[in-house]
Amino acid sequence: MNGPKPNLFVPALIGGVVAGILSGIPFVNCLCCLWIIGGAILASYLLAKDSTVTLRAGDGAIVGAFAGIFAAFVRSFLSIPFRAVEFALFQKIMERLSEYMPEAPGEWKDAFSLGAGPISIAGFFLGLVISAAIFAVLGALGGIIGMALFGKKTPPPAQGTKHETSQDTSHSQS
Amino acid sequence: MSRGKILLFYLATLAGILGWLGAVGLAPYLRSRGVPLGKFIYVCFSPVCHQIPARSFLAWGYPLAVCARCLGIYSGFLAGMALYPFLRGFSTVRLPETKVFLAVTAPIAVDTAGNFFRLWVTSNVLRLATGFLWGTILPFYLMTGLTELALKDKKQIE
Repeated sequence: MNGPKPNLFVPALIGGVVAGILSGIPFVNCLCCLWIIGGAILASYLLAKDSTVTLRAGDGAIVGAFAGIFAAFVRSFLSIPFRAVEFALFQKIMERLSEYMPEAPGEWKDAFSLGAGPISIAGFFLGLVISAAIFAVLGALGGIIGMALFGKKTPPPAQGTKHETSQDTSHSQS
Repeated sequence: MSRGKILLFYLATLAGILGWLGAVGLAPYLRSRGVPLGKFIYVCFSPVCHQIPARSFLAWGYPLAVCARCLGIYSGFLAGMALYPFLRGFSTVRLPETKVFLAVTAPIAVDTAGNFFRLWVTSNVLRLATGFLWGTILPFYLMTGLTELALKDKKQIE
């Protein structure tokens, strides 16, 4: 009744790379965790799109979690060159701000100081581990949502009727 | 047996979100006391939040570890966890209807898009509210997916 499940790796990789890039680019990454959830939803969509078997919420959780982990790697390595650029840009902003506001609010200075300076290798890998753990959870959530939205609820028609596309599916409730 | 596992996942998830929100509030407190752990907590949340002070609520004179929208999402998640036993119970799991998901997602999607494309600037209260609304439905997805992974009978989710 159910054939072999599709490979999770490629959908997770694509969703993770997209999420990692968008969450790593300065100014674009202002959508916070929503990029990770969005990337996981994309991974679920890609997984379900060409699947010939009925996929479940748990399958979405797995592909989403892997997408989150891939996103953490991409974002972490992408942040290396952007970190210096970001800090230089914020320094210029602060210099401009000081022309109009000699005493900048304390929380602004502290916020900028958090990302200041070079990062050690140990700090990089610690950040990578923390990101991977958090993004895996967010990715699992996004994957479940994606499977709920795009996953097939009923198996495809039995053999004997040839269907070229997988568009002929029905969603029982949603 | 399934009921026990569902309850276990529920309690674990509840503990997780309580700890998560606790850390959000603990960061500014520790920072106000000059404890270095506070700064570490901010760094831990930095991958999932821009932490822009102007977009964050303050506590003890410092911004929370996440912005208003993220705080709304996490708070809404906690509210959803509180509703879960009454709406689902622990005997079975079921995914929410898509139309319900789209209804609670529309406000945060519109608000986020409007701010992202500089069409308007929303207040922190409105960001909190739209995030809260969206966050309430998230536990119903997470609980379903995680519980399904653990159920041995592999019953298909409705």
